[in-house]
Amino acid sequence: MMVDAVATPPRRPGGIKRFIEAYPFLPALIIMLVLLALNGIWQPRSVSLVGITGLIKTYMALMLLAVAQTYVVYAGDIDLSAGAIVSLVNVVIVAVMASLGDSGVSVLAAMAIGLGAGLACGIVNGIVVAAFRLQAIVATFATSIFFTGLALWVMPVAGTPAPATFWRTYGGRILDVPFVFWAAALLAVILYLLARTRHALQLLAVGDDAQGAYQSGLPVTAIRIRGYAMCGVFAALAAFCITGDTASGDPLVGGKMTLYSIAAVVLGGTALAGGYGTVVGSVFGALIIGLINSLVYFVGTPSEWQNLVQGLAILVALVAGILIGRRARA
Amino acid sequence: MTRLVDTLKTPIIVALALIFLLLIVGEMLSPGFASPTQIMRLLIVAALLGIVAAGQNLVILGGREGIDLSVGGVVSLSAIIAGNLMNGQDAGIPLAILGCVATGALIGLINGVGVTLMRIPPLVMTLGMLGVLQGLLVVIRQGIPSGRAAPGLSQFVTQPFLLGLPGIIWLWVLIGLFLAFLLSRTVYGHRIYAIGSNEQAARMAGVPVAAIRISLFALSGVFAAIAGICLIGYSGSSFANVGEQYMLPSIIAVVFGGTSLAGGKGGYTGTMAGAMMLTVLQGILTTVNIDESGRQMIFGATLLLLMLFYGRGKAMRA
Amino acid sequence: MAKLKISGVSKAYGATVALSRGDLELQAGEVHVLIGSNGSGKSTLCKIVAGSVRPDKGEVLLDGKPVTMSGPRASKALGIGIFYQELSLAARRTVEENICLPDLPMKGPFVDRKTLSERAARYIALFDGVTGEGFSPDATVDILRADQRQLVEIMKTLASEASILIFDEPTSALDRAQVDRFFQILTRLKQEGRAIVFISHRMDEIFSIGDQVTVLRDGATIGTSRIADTNAQEIVRMMVGEEPAIAAQAQTSSAASGPVALRLANLSGAGFSDIGFEVRQGEILGLGGLHGQGQSSVLRALFGAGAVTSGDVSLEGASYRPHDPRAAIRAGLAYVSGDRGRDGVIQGRPILENVTPIHFLRNRLRLASPASLKRKATPAVEALKTKFASFAHPIGSLSGGNQQKIVIARWLIDRPKVLLLDDPTKGIDLSAKADLFALVRTLAAEGMAIVLYSSEDAELLSNSDRILVFNGGRITRELTGAERTRFNLYEAAYEAA
Repeated sequence: MMVDAVATPPRRPGGIKRFIEAYPFLPALIIMLVLLALNGIWQPRSVSLVGITGLIKTYMALMLLAVAQTYVVYAGDIDLSAGAIVSLVNVVIVAVMASLGDSGVSVLAAMAIGLGAGLACGIVNGIVVAAFRLQAIVATFATSIFFTGLALWVMPVAGTPAPATFWRTYGGRILDVPFVFWAAALLAVILYLLARTRHALQLLAVGDDAQGAYQSGLPVTAIRIRGYAMCGVFAALAAFCITGDTASGDPLVGGKMTLYSIAAVVLGGTALAGGYGTVVGSVFGALIIGLINSLVYFVGTPSEWQNLVQGLAILVALVAGILIGRRARA
Repeated sequence: MTRLVDTLKTPIIVALALIFLLLIVGEMLSPGFASPTQIMRLLIVAALLGIVAAGQNLVILGGREGIDLSVGGVVSLSAIIAGNLMNGQDAGIPLAILGCVATGALIGLINGVGVTLMRIPPLVMTLGMLGVLQGLLVVIRQGIPSGRAAPGLSQFVTQPFLLGLPGIIWLWVLIGLFLAFLLSRTVYGHRIYAIGSNEQAARMAGVPVAAIRISLFALSGVFAAIAGICLIGYSGSSFANVGEQYMLPSIIAVVFGGTSLAGGKGGYTGTMAGAMMLTVLQGILTTVNIDESGRQMIFGATLLLLMLFYGRGKAMRA
Repeated sequence: MAKLKISGVSKAYGATVALSRGDLELQAGEVHVLIGSNGSGKSTLCKIVAGSVRPDKGEVLLDGKPVTMSGPRASKALGIGIFYQELSLAARRTVEENICLPDLPMKGPFVDRKTLSERAARYIALFDGVTGEGFSPDATVDILRADQRQLVEIMKTLASEASILIFDEPTSALDRAQVDRFFQILTRLKQEGRAIVFISHRMDEIFSIGDQVTVLRDGATIGTSRIADTNAQEIVRMMVGEEPAIAAQAQTSSAASGPVALRLANLSGAGFSDIGFEVRQGEILGLGGLHGQGQSSVLRALFGAGAVTSGDVSLEGASYRPHDPRAAIRAGLAYVSGDRGRDGVIQGRPILENVTPIHFLRNRLRLASPASLKRKATPAVEALKTKFASFAHPIGSLSGGNQQKIVIARWLIDRPKVLLLDDPTKGIDLSAKADLFALVRTLAAEGMAIVLYSSEDAELLSNSDRILVFNGGRITRELTGAERTRFNLYEAAYEAA
């Protein structure tokens, strides 16, 4: 029998389609470059080394949180507590450093504890969503309230300063290269290595068809928990950057970042339904948000209009990204 | 007997039982918690959440990952528009209602068009819309004073109106009856369930899928706008982002009411119970003498615990 | 000793019993065919062995030792590989990734891409020359055709290198050359001493590859025999549980002479081209040919659910453009899909709500009063002898056949002009089929124009006045009167397009 041989002629993807299929972040890359160019036109200094350093310094945390969110979205899940984890890790490391004093050892100890805290939060989310089978969107909202409570317990009010060693390093230079560039390079290496492990492939397979993945013998629950754990760890890294940038502890600092991290993931070309996407795209997505914000400022938008114009631009970029991505694939 | 057990397991009964339990716990922790005045106050707060959740409920019932994250923004926007249009005068109330409902409907309409005609996932579309609304709030707030509620409106929301209950509670009951009728006794209601349950089958049975889904988002905007008006009546004047507190709780109320996030299953009666349950829980936590951090941790943990009663996903292994 | 012995295995989902008593003895080095009508429990039995369904009762012995499958992973570890009828592929992953996903080759902490490609290539090479256009190791599965996806699932199953291989309808979308190649592979595996379970609905395949056959009916194993010792009639008898007497009963075609209800001229669209025919009132027009030759596409397009690129349609003399199902329904068309899960049943909702949607549209109703709707729906469901306890019960509480009857009943409250039946009996039991065709004949006798596509030739032959044979998206032959024989139908269907 020749089922479907006639009904659905083979779809032969052309060059561009195939390219986009392999590199789903391309639309995001293009949007980002255009925004970068526009920034440069309105404010030449923004594309200088100093300008770029500033941009990365400010948006490194969002880039990392977008990466964190991506691993969860790969599997078709979502983490509304990502921002709360950032807050918690922020206050935890600031509190640890405050009690251990201003020294390199203290910073390293705080970071180790911070990573552990992020990992623990991620595992809790994973267990709640994957093992208890609660709806990700409501369950991680509940855990976000819990994590925020923990953060408030660690540090009831914002303002405890981070030791100078920490933020001077973050804002400083190593071998005459800004620290954030080293951090970005390290991030690139880590992401590259992670992409080559089985984690990404398995998460994407689960997001594609969880039942199919289960029936193929993949440990679906463990894979999803692992996704949340990775999210927790990267959220902790995001918290380090926030701490370096703001130089203080604030139990609510990350709250607003959750929704931006989701927007960045979508801007990066990753499908919220799971099964398709890249972490690189999410990094670009975070930068797009940053570049939109700075462009709105550079073109001289009156301050009270800035939020609205930013909001509109992000909405347009979200919609355009989805439409372009779909067009290119269809 | 099994029938009785099944009935007892319905989310509404579970929610009502939990509300009752929570009231007893509240009364034990802090005598006077379950007094009539306190319960009335809780009901008013629940009504505000419940009205927002009405729209959220409809969008979720319509399926295809329906969700409306912009409701919080609409509530805030509506509160500030209402405040300005009334500016403390009763005569401004009709105009305020008209203006807010139209604004809410328009925002919902845009969401709906994005979701259906441009096929943007609802989460993304309404998330983007939320960003726009937050920006809009800043613009409006800079340009004009935040406005004040008309005394008539405040009275409607906070003072006894009929049988000792304030008008807002009657409004909520009315909305509950209206939606119960809409969902069970109208063609429109049947079609909502049909698209939520099996969109393709609904289309093949002649259901105008896109039009219905757009209308659901529009209704969500309208209900959020109504809640915004009531909110300014409750608080007297609006302040920054008052609506944000409703965004995710409205979804939780729907889930606690037994409506499936997958769509096509559930109803509003349960959501009303869900909204009350959330409000009572929060009420207890504000009454007892613990600091904010403990309160949040208990709240988060309790929500998780309660979720174990509701809509857990299917096991992979049948 | 049997490689795998299953005895008394059962599985129920609530009130629905999927498998009541499954027995199977599988030897190493044989191809063991499982056969039974849809819903007889074959897939459930396979999934229990594969670990993806938890049995309620029963025993599984592997190499004589009792084993419990705690899940697909455990089953895989015991050396059981399975081809899932519904496929278990990740659509956005590539062919080679899918083949190796269950068991990724690693080099330290990283996926060994080179080994992965090599391993996948070995299994892809088995089907060299028959994979078809567009198939490549790095193509994502979502751009492949149905037959190519099935091949990927086969390769994935083979890559498990399991000693027990279960194939649940692996050939349903494959063409002849692909099936032949697959059978060569199976023969080789058999010689290697693997134990193979094979499910197919095609008798010729069963006799060309099977060593033993086990028949299931209504969730229970009826019996096993050696293929060499049996024949098709005996197998069918075991499947049906009675003499296959329902067929035949040749329709005394009266060459309907009513006015033309539906006329198509040079209609082309996705999956079909240059289709022209007329259906008269009171006529049942059959569409025949192999599965997937455009019959379904034409019917869906007429109903506004598929693309039309050119050509004309007229309905009772008036020009008609199929825009969308809504317009089609308003114009007086009705469409019943064989895929009721996708196109028909509104799951989780009461039976009443599943009967009424067309009535709402045709009468532009706004309010839904249960009492009056029940009055209207009752004759419609009774015409099909639908068995159900209450209109208020969810449709999911009914058997598949009764669900399909409910879906059909929605078209009977307000009679359409033309009824399009797109393989309407797929997966429903024999008595439901009989009720359905009795109704179809009555409707035709009352003057309705009916277009029937069925993947079962016997149904087509005994119920249509005329048959148009489709091949490659075109009508290649028309069979009228005495020409309507199985022989002519096969001949026309298998002609090269």
